[in-house]
Amino acid sequence: MASISLRGVEKRFGAVEVIPSLDLDIEDHEFVVFVGPSGCGKSTLLRIIAGLEPVSAGELRFAGERANEKSPAQRNVAMVFQDYALYPHMTVYQNMAFGLEMRRMTRAEIDERVRRAARMLEIEPMLGRHPRALSGGQRQRVAMGRAMVRDPSVFLFDEPLSNLDAQLRGQVRTEIKALSQRLRTTMIFVTHDQVEAMTMADRIVVLQRGVIQQVGTPEEVYEQPANRFVAGFIGAPAMNFLPVTQEHGAVRLGNGTALRVDHTRSGPAILGVRPEHFVAAPPGQGLAAELLLVEPLGSDTLVHFMAGEVRCIARVRPETRPQPGQVLHFTVQPDRAHLFDTESGAAMR
Amino acid sequence: MERDQKSAAARVLIAVLAIIAAALILTPLVWMVLSSFKSSDQVTAYPPSLLFRPTLANYENLARTTSFLAYARNSLIESGGATLLGLLLGIPAAYAASVTRASWPALATLSARMAPGTLFLVPWYLAFRDFNLIGSYTALILTQGVIALPIVIWVLLPVFDAIPRSVLEAAQVDGCGVLRSLWRIGLPLARPGIVIATILSFVFSWNFFLFALVLSDHSTKPLVVAAFNFIGEGSTDWGGLMAAATLITLPPLVLAIAVQRWLVAGLTLGAVKG
Repeated sequence: MASISLRGVEKRFGAVEVIPSLDLDIEDHEFVVFVGPSGCGKSTLLRIIAGLEPVSAGELRFAGERANEKSPAQRNVAMVFQDYALYPHMTVYQNMAFGLEMRRMTRAEIDERVRRAARMLEIEPMLGRHPRALSGGQRQRVAMGRAMVRDPSVFLFDEPLSNLDAQLRGQVRTEIKALSQRLRTTMIFVTHDQVEAMTMADRIVVLQRGVIQQVGTPEEVYEQPANRFVAGFIGAPAMNFLPVTQEHGAVRLGNGTALRVDHTRSGPAILGVRPEHFVAAPPGQGLAAELLLVEPLGSDTLVHFMAGEVRCIARVRPETRPQPGQVLHFTVQPDRAHLFDTESGAAMR
Repeated sequence: MERDQKSAAARVLIAVLAIIAAALILTPLVWMVLSSFKSSDQVTAYPPSLLFRPTLANYENLARTTSFLAYARNSLIESGGATLLGLLLGIPAAYAASVTRASWPALATLSARMAPGTLFLVPWYLAFRDFNLIGSYTALILTQGVIALPIVIWVLLPVFDAIPRSVLEAAQVDGCGVLRSLWRIGLPLARPGIVIATILSFVFSWNFFLFALVLSDHSTKPLVVAAFNFIGEGSTDWGGLMAAATLITLPPLVLAIAVQRWLVAGLTLGAVKG
């Protein structure tokens, strides 16, 4: 079991600075998800923690002990790779046993651990097979099994679900979450999928260009995004952003429409409204929205419309059966609207 | 329908080209084997006869007048030793070059391979003379190792490159150092490549004439140099030469046929991502 601390960690590949300078603390037993768009440095950060990538500057501590110079094995981390990275020439059993052999465990202990993990992951019948004879989901389980048997201090997952189909992804996601609750080991999970981040994490670390944008619980990053980037990245469909002028207790859109919003100041701002925080209003009130596109999802319906120059999406109840071309009127939930600085994008609170 | 006709035409074309290529490669070999069963008069007769009474006289003569088995043993020791040396040095070198993504070792060995053998000959000769190693197996194994090493590196580099990095990193996370990951992961996955590197090194070393001619003596002379004895100042025993050449060709040929499946797999390794 280990807490992890990164202080002033930097990573450069030649002249390219991937992580400028980063501080982060991960508690023991915590399930932390690194999330961000492609190229944001999340996998690099995971590899630094794993010991597969040296830092250019800064310090990394495992359970309070400096770990910069320690190998992955010395850090006692286990990693599940995006492509699973199973040893193709070994059977499932041998794949799972390999790390234990390297630790010079007895055959009996190895056997006991491998079979226990295989039982837990329901891959016992596959122990004699080679990876090529397994489906993607089965390989994924073997990769997890290989990590589990080691009883590591930290589990690291590098986008392990990205090669699975949607249905299997959901299933494995649930399994990993259940596993984390059962094993009570520190886990770091890298993904670009914000749904994975929201559903699995105790805390989410949102990254952009190697810089942490926000660290918080899923509720915090969703309800109180630190800036426009986080607000736009977390949540699907994404938050709508509208340029407005703040007035006392309200904001005014470019077309003159006034919407009541809490916590306003004065001057220009960017209004952020999540699709589900638009509220249907009686005709003549609020924002008049001529529907461009209607997407029924079953549980609710997404409607697309233009608010001035900006294309917006609102989530409405399916029984309203909106039609393209129809004009609906929306206001926003005043306490759920977000205001961002027009220059820096920082949340105005 | 049209597509079927096209693919049938392509198959015929490929078959014709394969037959032409096979004929070009095999004709000298068949000629050599047939000539080895002819008398010296028949070998040089014009026009050449395809129908003749075969004789084992050339082979009998070879066994009676030369130390053929001793030369064969020398060839085996020298080619085997050079191949082993090439593999011992080349496998870790190729693995290290692949893991570190360093391209210069491959380029350096390639330049060594591209350079004509004569370039090395004089320095080698002087060095071995100073160490009193002329005519020793050591000198021949070392020099032919120079032939084998670039082959091993060049065959194995793409093979190791084709192993996903994540697999090697997984081994690192599992507790393997570089050498252990080579032993436990790299080598088993590169097995077809190692087979091809072994065969090619052995064949090149087996057939390499120049170093052996200069650096061997009567006790370490390999087959290729011994066969040279049939070419005389005034006349050449073509039948004997052909019989010797046929026997010299046999071991690499048998080896190549024995591992044919691995050979094809090894040659195409790394060509496609897997």
